[in-house]
Amino acid sequence: MSNNSSLKSPYQSGSMDDLYDESKLTDHIKPIEEKWKLVPAFLKCRGLVKQHIDSFNFFINVEMKKIVKANEKLTTEVDPAFYAKFTEIQVGMPALTEENYESVSMTPQKCRLRDMTYSAPITVNLEYVRGKQIVGRKNVVIGRIPIMLRSSNCVLTNKSHEQLANLGECPLDPGGYFIVRGNEKVILNHEQLSKNRIIIETDAKGVPCSTVTSSTHERKSRTSIIMKHGKLYLKHNTFAEDIPVVIFLKGMGVETDQEVVQLVGSEEIFLDAIASSLEECNKCKVHTQTQALDYLGARIKSIRKPWGMSKKSKSEEAKDILAGVVLNHVPVRRYNFRLKVIYVALMIRRIIIATKDRSTLDDKDYYGNKRLELSGQLISLLFEDLFKKFLAELKKATDQAILKPNRAMVFDFASIIRTETLTNGFVHAISSGQWNLKRFKMERSGVTQVLSRLSFISALGMMTRIQSQFEKTRKISGPRSLQPSQWGMLCPSDTPEGEACGLVKNFAQMTHVTTDEPEGPLLRLAYNLGVQDILLITGEELNSRTAFLVFLNGQIIGIHNSPTLFVNTLRKMRRAGRIREFISICKNEAHKTVSIACDGGRLCRPMIIVENGRPRVQQFHIEELKDGLRTFDDFIREGLIEYLDVNEENDSFLAWNESAVNKTTTHMEIEPFTLLGCVSALIPYPHHNQSPRNTYQCAMGKQAIGAIAYNQLSRIDTLLYLLVYPQRPMCQTRTLELVNYVKLPAGHNATVAVMSYSGYDIEDALVMNKASLDRGFGRCIVFKKQVSAVKKYANQTADRIIPPNAETSRQPKFALLDEDGIAKPGELAQKGQILINKYSPINTVDIVANSDKIPDSGYKSSYTAYKYENPAFVDKVMLTTGDDDQLLIKLLMRSTRRPELGDKFSSRHGQKGVCGIIVKQEDMPFTDLGICPDIIMNPHGFPSRMTIGKMIELLAGKAGVLRGGFGYGTCFGGDKVEDISKVLISKGFSYGGKDYVTSGVTGEPLQCFIFFGPIFYQKLKHMVMDKMHARARGPTVTLTRQPTEGRARGGGLRLGEMERDCLIGYGASALIMERLMISSDRFTVYACKKCGFLGYEGWCQYCKSTLQVSTLQIPYACKLLFQELQAMNIVPKLKLEDA
Amino acid sequence: MPCIYICGECGAENEIKPKEPIKCKDCTYRIMYKKRTDRMIQFEAR
Repeated sequence: MSNNSSLKSPYQSGSMDDLYDESKLTDHIKPIEEKWKLVPAFLKCRGLVKQHIDSFNFFINVEMKKIVKANEKLTTEVDPAFYAKFTEIQVGMPALTEENYESVSMTPQKCRLRDMTYSAPITVNLEYVRGKQIVGRKNVVIGRIPIMLRSSNCVLTNKSHEQLANLGECPLDPGGYFIVRGNEKVILNHEQLSKNRIIIETDAKGVPCSTVTSSTHERKSRTSIIMKHGKLYLKHNTFAEDIPVVIFLKGMGVETDQEVVQLVGSEEIFLDAIASSLEECNKCKVHTQTQALDYLGARIKSIRKPWGMSKKSKSEEAKDILAGVVLNHVPVRRYNFRLKVIYVALMIRRIIIATKDRSTLDDKDYYGNKRLELSGQLISLLFEDLFKKFLAELKKATDQAILKPNRAMVFDFASIIRTETLTNGFVHAISSGQWNLKRFKMERSGVTQVLSRLSFISALGMMTRIQSQFEKTRKISGPRSLQPSQWGMLCPSDTPEGEACGLVKNFAQMTHVTTDEPEGPLLRLAYNLGVQDILLITGEELNSRTAFLVFLNGQIIGIHNSPTLFVNTLRKMRRAGRIREFISICKNEAHKTVSIACDGGRLCRPMIIVENGRPRVQQFHIEELKDGLRTFDDFIREGLIEYLDVNEENDSFLAWNESAVNKTTTHMEIEPFTLLGCVSALIPYPHHNQSPRNTYQCAMGKQAIGAIAYNQLSRIDTLLYLLVYPQRPMCQTRTLELVNYVKLPAGHNATVAVMSYSGYDIEDALVMNKASLDRGFGRCIVFKKQVSAVKKYANQTADRIIPPNAETSRQPKFALLDEDGIAKPGELAQKGQILINKYSPINTVDIVANSDKIPDSGYKSSYTAYKYENPAFVDKVMLTTGDDDQLLIKLLMRSTRRPELGDKFSSRHGQKGVCGIIVKQEDMPFTDLGICPDIIMNPHGFPSRMTIGKMIELLAGKAGVLRGGFGYGTCFGGDKVEDISKVLISKGFSYGGKDYVTSGVTGEPLQCFIFFGPIFYQKLKHMVMDKMHARARGPTVTLTRQPTEGRARGGGLRLGEMERDCLIGYGASALIMERLMISSDRFTVYACKKCGFLGYEGWCQYCKSTLQVSTLQIPYACKLLFQELQAMNIVPKLKLEDA
Repeated sequence: MPCIYICGECGAENEIKPKEPIKCKDCTYRIMYKKRTDRMIQFEAR
């Protein structure tokens, strides 16, 4: 027994324990079985779209109240006795008030079907002056706000699956989006450089400079300290020129050079670096604060102030700018500049260090320097803007009402409240995606996007997407490339190809985004733990060797002389639950700082805590979790697991599994596979694939046709693709189960033979079995929506729908129409047939006395016809009233498609291919068991693509089929090939997955064994039927007389510039002539040889003669160009020569 | 003769008259579906 071990683990503390637990530090740590069970536990309490919902909840429950609190009182100059105060604000549940003032609860599905907005009323409690009294009113509605699905105010929260189904909602739907005017809209996550932090970077000349983007509620500004000719300057857009930094410091009251030096650092390198800056200040003859302020005042950029606004002197103005504009996030109270001085000194110090040691430069792409802007924050900005606008309008109306002479009634403030500002403001911003908030200098478009419902996974993938603020056109690799600090936070595979590559990212499975938390308690705690207040510190102490600067959210709060102790205590308190779990504490040895962060928008993820080389999570914890005795939150509460953000990750030692744990390790991954996102989790054995293949699959998985939601058949979407017989993949991953893909799959388990067959399988084309297609392989349903609104017009007229009369009803065009003038469900619609026989009044302006008496001639036909080439069945006809009490008719058109030549298919490994040939089953090869493949894949797809994962998927799937279970291809785990081979052998198959195969054509055995087994194939949305197009003659554009563009308009096939270049290079001039003119927009013109102008029918109007006019053929577009040039006073002339 | 529509909530049969809001007489639900055609429909089973 070991008694001399100095490091005692908690399990070795008592002597009794020693009898039972003989484990020592050096012992190999037993891997925790089924540790992955923590992942579903995490997803259960946090979920994949939790960040959206959390941030929205935070806005509704916290931020909104703060905004109203800040603007609660409304007063007017007209009547000093009047005031109105918003004492309380709350958001109700989504409900609709009907005409009889009855409140009806809204469900998301109703909103989708009725093209309405899923919104809830915002109510306030008011206190205001009426006459001579102060009155209070409760629950006054001031507008409606769209509610995020599954947020705290949504009807779907805390509902069981059955209850959700009763509400017509899919229980597996992630939520986190809005429904505005019947459209599902997502507010994407935006990534930004974090505000209020010092960033040391290099400028265009490669000289270090330090930049801070300050952002407070009042103001946003950018301050940099740059180095020019070895001297330091302050750059800020309120000053017309760069200000020597020492003058700036003197302006803030640091008058002696000694103090400047002490603040920056009195070591040799700092002295040297700052000497010339000090000298420059002297040269400018600035010695005192007054002189400095005069100097600064003279250099303020003159902004035209409104008349009579400012009676302050220039130097006072400069002082105000120093206090409130430059580095405005650092608070200055009663012109006490101390904090700002220290902050600037630190910026200078960092620059000087960076000039000597380039490794201290900050990496802008480092994810710890990034913050995410979530939907809650964007909605919050929108609300603040709209609320202020609302208040301004209210004030105007109040002024008018008070000023109105001889008021009959006492002015009642509550009666003038109009709800349109807020309601329409929200609806407009979310439905158009334009956030034009002048108050915050924000003009962004494309903030919201329509939720893609192509497949379940595409909707889920959209919810986890992060957009970057960088310009797409810039050819920069830094922000696009994978940053090591993104490990575990962002999916390394899921990013689009092309221009947005690396700029659009996706969350990993366990990522959590923080929301703002109060700083106050943390600040108090920090001081209690021995942080010395920064205002009591001199420069010399500040830069002493032992002192570590302590930051709270980028703000200097003080110094601490034993940082390790401080950091450890804080972390212990966090683990004990004394401070919130998302607070990050990290120590930076290089900068000698301790940063505490509790701001919102940080990415963090849970990790198992390791202490003394032992993970705190033990096997029995997992057993308890499995038995349902524990939740994920219990793990957090008991300090077994904690959240780390990117910065704290950098200050920890993370082991990726038990075997990597050593003495220094502080944390261990819960499961390595969680570093992937939910879309790339679709891929079995992704760790065996070449990386770009996984990226390709992430893009393609979103295009796969499959099941979308449990309520898919009751949805009426513009376009909806569904698979008729979706199957669950034979080889799945753990994550696939966690994201419920197995319940809403998109694809089939195809039996694949990897061999060459005919010549129709080159370039990734697939050979498909006709009998499989007959059995329903790849069969899909396409739903299309046809809508028509029966409008009511301002002049009391309205659209009408009428049945066909005796005469028209015999025409095939009207064949589908029922007695109400709408097609009946179940009928087959051909191209051109009328679905809704609507007529609109011609006159919608002049008021009509009796709209019933308008003759039929007063209406024009505005019917909705079926316009597509391929016939479709009318699946559903829905009638409802929309938002504006107009009749809304929606028809759902259904067509079923079987795969045909040219339809696109893909496996889950970025291996796409089109159907090259459909072969009768008789001609397909078959194995000794009589198994015939569904798909034959060309083996040439493997060597260059290196998708080994696909091969192992086949093996695992085959073993699964034979064993009667599912194969698992989880990343970094999953079934091992060796084990799979054993199963195959035990079932009488070859260990390598190869089978004996007989040729279906000759009946002879093939000369080699064929790799044969199930692979999950997805049918992609690109189908030949939607793309097939040819044209000989057809419509032309009126302006240029050239053929129209695009399939929908029966357009021509363009011979583009590059094709033209080829023809020029080859010298095929006649062909060019034919393609570009004769077959396009040939036009005969009459040109005058003498003047060079175009004439008319052999007559030159300029020369007034017919003598020199000749006829020639030019493109109509060319003639148009000449005429347009002439209209602009440019004379194009034709010089004619004999050819 | 006006057509008969089925309420999306309770399945009650309703008549809709022009210029009247769509509302189920039984449950006040506002979404109606049209009844399926009584004509014979032939499907191609391939």
